[in-house]
Amino acid sequence: MSTLSYKKFEDIDSGSLPDKMTVFQDCLHAFNTSPVQAKRCRLLLSRLLRLLYLGDSFASQEATTLFFSISKLFQHKDSSLRQMVYLAIKELSVISEDVLMVTSSIMKDIQNGEAIYKPNAIRSLTRIVDASTVHATERLMKNCVVDRNPSITSATLVSSYHLLAVAKDVVKRWTNETQEAISATKTFPPQQFLTHENYGVNKLPSSTYVYQYHALGLLYHLRNHDKMALMKLINQLSNSNSPLRSPLAIVQLIRYIGQIIKDVPSYAQPLFPVLNNWLRNKSDMVELEAAKTILGISSFSSEQHLAAINCLQILLSVPRTVTRFAAVRILNKIAMKTPEKIVICNVELENLINDSNRSVSTYAITTLLKTGNSDNVDRLIKTILKFMNDISDEFKIVVIDAIRTLSLKFPEKYKTMLNFLNDCLRDDGGFVFKNAIVEALFDMIKFVPQSRDLALENLCEFIEDCEFTELAVRILHLLGNEGPKTTNPTLYIRHIYNRVVLENSIVRSSAVIALSKFALIGDESISKSIKILLSRCLNDVDDEVRDRAALSLKLITSFEELSSPDEKEKLKDFISPNTKYSLPVLEQKLSLYMQGDKESFIQSFDIKSVPTISDDEAKAYEFREKTRLLEEEANADVEQNKNRNTNGENNGYGAEDREESNQYIKNTVLQQQYSQELSAIPEFKNYGNLLHSSSVVELTEREIEFVVEVIKHVFEDHLVLQFNIENTLEESELNEVTVVSSPEADELYEEEFIMPIEKLKPQSKGTVYVSFTRPSGIELTSFTNTLSFISKEVDTTTGESFEGDEGFQDEYQIEELSLTPGDFIIPSFTGNFTHQWDELSKIEQSGVYNLSDSNDLQEIVQRLIRVLSMMPVDGSDIVTDSNSTTHVLKLFGKSILNSAKVACIIRLAANSSRGIMMKTQVRGEDEQLCEAIINGVA
Amino acid sequence: MSSQVSLYSINSTLILDNEGKRIYAKYFKPPHGVLEDNSKLYNNDKNQKTFEKNLFAKTYKVGGDIILFENQVVVYKQYSDIIIYMIGGLEENESLLSTTLSGLTAALEIVLQNNIDQKSVQENYDLVALAIDETVDDGIILEYDPAVIASRVTNAPSQDIPSLKTIDLSEKGLLNAFQFARSKINEKLQQGL
Repeated sequence: MSTLSYKKFEDIDSGSLPDKMTVFQDCLHAFNTSPVQAKRCRLLLSRLLRLLYLGDSFASQEATTLFFSISKLFQHKDSSLRQMVYLAIKELSVISEDVLMVTSSIMKDIQNGEAIYKPNAIRSLTRIVDASTVHATERLMKNCVVDRNPSITSATLVSSYHLLAVAKDVVKRWTNETQEAISATKTFPPQQFLTHENYGVNKLPSSTYVYQYHALGLLYHLRNHDKMALMKLINQLSNSNSPLRSPLAIVQLIRYIGQIIKDVPSYAQPLFPVLNNWLRNKSDMVELEAAKTILGISSFSSEQHLAAINCLQILLSVPRTVTRFAAVRILNKIAMKTPEKIVICNVELENLINDSNRSVSTYAITTLLKTGNSDNVDRLIKTILKFMNDISDEFKIVVIDAIRTLSLKFPEKYKTMLNFLNDCLRDDGGFVFKNAIVEALFDMIKFVPQSRDLALENLCEFIEDCEFTELAVRILHLLGNEGPKTTNPTLYIRHIYNRVVLENSIVRSSAVIALSKFALIGDESISKSIKILLSRCLNDVDDEVRDRAALSLKLITSFEELSSPDEKEKLKDFISPNTKYSLPVLEQKLSLYMQGDKESFIQSFDIKSVPTISDDEAKAYEFREKTRLLEEEANADVEQNKNRNTNGENNGYGAEDREESNQYIKNTVLQQQYSQELSAIPEFKNYGNLLHSSSVVELTEREIEFVVEVIKHVFEDHLVLQFNIENTLEESELNEVTVVSSPEADELYEEEFIMPIEKLKPQSKGTVYVSFTRPSGIELTSFTNTLSFISKEVDTTTGESFEGDEGFQDEYQIEELSLTPGDFIIPSFTGNFTHQWDELSKIEQSGVYNLSDSNDLQEIVQRLIRVLSMMPVDGSDIVTDSNSTTHVLKLFGKSILNSAKVACIIRLAANSSRGIMMKTQVRGEDEQLCEAIINGVA
Repeated sequence: MSSQVSLYSINSTLILDNEGKRIYAKYFKPPHGVLEDNSKLYNNDKNQKTFEKNLFAKTYKVGGDIILFENQVVVYKQYSDIIIYMIGGLEENESLLSTTLSGLTAALEIVLQNNIDQKSVQENYDLVALAIDETVDDGIILEYDPAVIASRVTNAPSQDIPSLKTIDLSEKGLLNAFQFARSKINEKLQQGL
């Protein structure tokens, strides 16, 4: 290093930072120099920290060297240097070894050090000690908890909280001291505020009581398992002369109250007055937390919820952005489930549409739209139309998206929606905005059949004057697909041919393809005029247009000449295909193909290996996706919330729910993956095609020693159960892991073989396959499962089991698994359920059940959809009115065995005393399947 | 530990400059426990940098103090050429985060004498690092009152004693010199005798 550059960095006030090695060398040099130069060392420490905070890390050895040299700085008494030393120790302790060596220096400081760095010393100590050395600090920690200085108490309590994970039993020993800290009044020493000149505030606090927050947080975990003690604590802290001063502590207490009510619902009513009281607090965070908690608990009555909503209503108009944001966010969440409750806030929400914070206004708009029910949706849309000109494109898109989901929810309101979209379409706007509108119209055409003609007309008008080629092409494609199905196809032909005359070559070529599809209607005069139009295109200046016209003409003429219907069908597929390739699978297959080496390219890519999906199936997927948006909206927090709400009542239901929805997106790809995995196993090679794989079913709780999940794979003649087993133990390994799975109907399902896991190391996962023969039809049964294994203890240092340890045989009962009707059904979409229902009238089965395990209609609906794996249609998967006691769920699907259609109407009626009555009607093409549904639905 | 009842409420604290580059970044993790939802970002420099870049693009020169970003609640405050972020979990109380952030920023205003900008933060990095450390301790809010946070931040020592060993003027050094001289004189005297 040259002297020059060295000098440069000696400039103490320089903001620039030398490179990592320079800092490292400088630090080592300066820290090892005696006597210690406090100012220079603090500067170097600050550079070191800056490196760390910028993301540079040191290798363990370098860090240890640094750590060791930093420990030499304890010689110097300067408290400002010492504080910096502690920060450095705290940060370095994560990456360096032998950190224990500074323990005694730190302990000395905690006992006799100066008040200014004592809290830092305590907090560093927590990073140094581990479970085995924490005992030595007990007396010290106890003394510090009861210290009169609030900073010291806080630091100790926070440190104890960090230690909970490793040494709860030790921390428990200062439970009493912690309890005292909650009610104690501690004030800062008089010299507290002398360090800096101007504190910028008039009144310096004598205490901030934040230690109450820390003490409460710690105490909760120490008393977590004792509900009575917790209730006592809540009672003591929530009455009128409660010692709680810190709003943070109150927020925390509210969370505990929410938690305990979720665990023990009967506490809800006695605790309501307490929560209600906090709805009028001087601190926003307390009010928000109380409102959020009340609204999150379903056992509170509507009036009680109303109190919380009123509180939020007031908070909607405060000047503080963050508070407005939080309030509108909570309301938005409520709107998801029970929009009618927040209609009273509509005036405030409308005011927020022009809020300066984008997140706030977005939430306000989407919330408003959710409050729409079939009565007020017209008025709402009118209101929003007024704002449309004042908001930016980005927002308009949010609104359009909301309208789109709304139109799927209220198909009967399609006229209002179409008018709205049409008005927007005429407004000025960029591509993204127009695209959103077109997308919305596309969706309506696809999923709200009665809106088709009107929407198509709107689109036709739009392309007359459309500056975006991409949109014009997409609309033409859609016109080609949907136009021939309408009553008056000639209308569209005119619009399309106009494009051929007026547009650029890209639009022209897609118009040609769209035109050719009209020739298939079967009307001679139309076919004739199409042929005339197409032959005109043969003289186009662009070769692509000419080519397409020639091809189409050829196909149409040969179509007319052919007589056999089979061949006609084949040709028809060329012009307007009924099926399309599953794109995710195609993508996956192609990328796999591309990864291969030279030899694999000898064979050309086999397009046949990519499954095709019919239009109906594609629609079904798309529809699920679209309606899911409704639940997700701007973020995912709703789902999380939903999970939390249901978790208490039904084990793991929430987690499964989320898994299912995630899986839905990847469903096809997953199915593909399973089938690849299975076909790679020689035993399953000749099982044929994998017909259906279920979603993951958990057979154990998530937190126990062995976590078992299962996936059911249905083949033509076989059933394979894939058990994923995780060994969560740290010190034992499992050998010869098998699952003994015995079907109830053992004459139908015969076990063929089990593929066990030979050795399951600690904290690892493995898979056991159990294969059964399957009867040809649909037979439901359930399996009792037992996990069996030989467990051996493992030497944690080597990770191997002890030699000569024979282990001991153990068995472990896990939950039953049932084969549900859903394992034989794939969801399928239908645009006109009533029509399908009438068509399937030949075979009908029905049954009446009483479900006593739950009272929540929405929950039952979700469960039915999952169990039956059918597609909810006509928006019947959402229970729109939470107060109503009845609901009708309509489901549609297809059998995996013979693609037989099946439709279900399930009528639910809640009865507070006896649970939910359920009447199920099933119609379908396959009698056995209908029967299976009736038997398996409850 | 469920996030609802945990004291670990801050996921990370960031200071970015006016180009989105890091000035200070700390992604918190309980020192002894395991962390849950923040894990994608913790200890993964690449993910962190992308996160910061995208967050910056979403927030810089856009009005507002709060945003939901990648399933986290982000409150932020913009100064002339830096932005300070406080990031918490999706279910965290927004007002609590914002109170903590304003506590920190007001404390920085005190210790940096009302000059919160890139230059002053870089030149007084020790003060900034200490202030943040006094506000959040590995994800737990330690204090949110600006005056109290500021009062816990020590100023750097004013002046170093010149380090030339030969001219050590501290008391002990004088004594040493005196003793050294005395022993030398004694030697000389004894030799002379």
